[in-house]
Amino acid sequence: MTAPAEARRLRFLPSGTSIHKLSAVLTLCLLITVFSFTSSAFFSVNNGLTVLLQTSVIGLLAIGMTLVIITGGIDLSVGSVLALSGVVAGLFIKAGLPVVPAMGVGVLAGAACGFVNGFVITKMRITPFVATLGMMLIARGIALQLTGAAPISRLGEAFGELGNGTLFRIVDMQANGFPKVIFPGIPYPVILLAVIAILGAYLLQKRQFGRHIFSAGSNEEAARLSGVNVDRTKIWTYALSGGLAGLSGMVLMSRLVTVQPNEGVMYELDAIAASVIGGASLMGGVGSISGSMIGAFIIGVLRNGLNMAGTSAFVQMIIIGVVVIGAVYIDQIRNKT
Amino acid sequence: MLDVSSSNTPLVQMVDIYKQFGGIHAVEGVSTDLYPGEVMGVLGHNGAGKSCLMRMLSGAMTPTRGDIFVNGQKAALKSPQDARGFGIETIYQTLALANHLDAPANLFMGRELKTRFGNLDEKRMLAEATDALRQLNPNFKNLRDPVARLSGGQRQVIAIARAIYFQAKILIMDEPTAALGPSETAMVADLTKRLKNEGIGIFLISHDMEDVFELCDRVMVMNKGRNVGTFRIGDVNKDDILSLIIKGTLPDDWEPRGANKESSK
Repeated sequence: MTAPAEARRLRFLPSGTSIHKLSAVLTLCLLITVFSFTSSAFFSVNNGLTVLLQTSVIGLLAIGMTLVIITGGIDLSVGSVLALSGVVAGLFIKAGLPVVPAMGVGVLAGAACGFVNGFVITKMRITPFVATLGMMLIARGIALQLTGAAPISRLGEAFGELGNGTLFRIVDMQANGFPKVIFPGIPYPVILLAVIAILGAYLLQKRQFGRHIFSAGSNEEAARLSGVNVDRTKIWTYALSGGLAGLSGMVLMSRLVTVQPNEGVMYELDAIAASVIGGASLMGGVGSISGSMIGAFIIGVLRNGLNMAGTSAFVQMIIIGVVVIGAVYIDQIRNKT
Repeated sequence: MLDVSSSNTPLVQMVDIYKQFGGIHAVEGVSTDLYPGEVMGVLGHNGAGKSCLMRMLSGAMTPTRGDIFVNGQKAALKSPQDARGFGIETIYQTLALANHLDAPANLFMGRELKTRFGNLDEKRMLAEATDALRQLNPNFKNLRDPVARLSGGQRQVIAIARAIYFQAKILIMDEPTAALGPSETAMVADLTKRLKNEGIGIFLISHDMEDVFELCDRVMVMNKGRNVGTFRIGDVNKDDILSLIIKGTLPDDWEPRGANKESSK
């Protein structure tokens, strides 16, 4: 018994996911080092916080996307759902609802879209790709229809608080009467991302629901035969992804203090890229929140660093595309040897 | 065939079971029963309906018509959870393992142990799994490895441990030795005998005649969705069974052979 076991062992290198995560962290460190040399302004507290802020929206989407990808699915609708949630929140604020409950309704609208995705996928047996592609068009269409494709502005200062507020901002009033910013403060979106990421990792690693997400994605039939309620697990996973898309919609629209019904186009692809760079397998059963966060920051740092180095947006797209393919290719080589 | 005496209720009784898929009749009017401490061989061609019949007992499929009784009580087995509630556990031919998860996660899949706060109790699951797996195979190592990296024998051990850990009363084994080497096959045979002595009723689907004659008390043969005969193992020999499997009938000159008469070997 030991002989074949050992032979089999040799074909796999030790613990795939941890190596992948390590290489992703190294990549991230390498990027930061390289960009620190190319631009003197890159390695600073201010720019660090900017990267964090810029990454928070993709990061939130990537958390939901990772859960969905681990079940063996995909959610192409998050970018559109983000916009629709913003529109719903904006319309409720315009109708007189206070900001916090209106944002709550926006997040729920996102979760409802995700719930519909899950229902269509499990009960109508439509593949996730097609179901969420349909939702991508439906949600975008509703968002544009509700607003007549026009932005909703004048939503009040309170609406901008989530996206623009900071914690621990230290401002020193100078003798000449001008304020001097000693520490710009941690932006609320960054804190939100950290909290949601920790909750997401807890859900995935420590709770039965998370274990069922892995079981369903690893071997759906086995999970079903073992008494896992696969349909319910998937529906809730898509609902969570939709809800997180709604939440990231709140963050994004709040940062702009305006609801833009055509925001978030192609964000789903960034979220998928972040998950995949972070080691999630589109075949299901593999992935982690921490990995996806590293993936999101690799994309964020790349964007920011290339911007600072003066690289054009078009070249950035090319580079990120190459990084995604490279990350998956390296993963495959490692799993084959 | 149904000898329901008051002192000896069958563990399982399947009565007049039908299963149709569209126009296809996978199982037609099959009845069978199983007693505590008995191993019932379920034989037949691929596609004869034996796996289908067993899937209905394990709750993975629901019969189009017919009743299933467990301990004399009518049982509605609408899902694998229902079947497990009646103490029916299944070792699937495909093993039904999640390749990316480790042995404890697979052993407790769908029945995870939780702490007081509702978190997964990884420690206890690992400890219990170590116990359960070492009982079957003292050399079992790498419990934290994804099961994709384990050998066929180890994977089989996990599938078996999963069934017996939860105190099965009725065990369905679907070709448990098909993928195993000789020593592991012997281990499964020993285990089957041990479980039988503990009073567990076992349905054993197998193509291996040696196994069948060594382990089974009775055999039922299925052909084209029908049960073409249930016999005590001593009353038939290999040729009789092959005739049933292939033609659906016994040889023309067949009469019960009796345990003392020349058996197949």
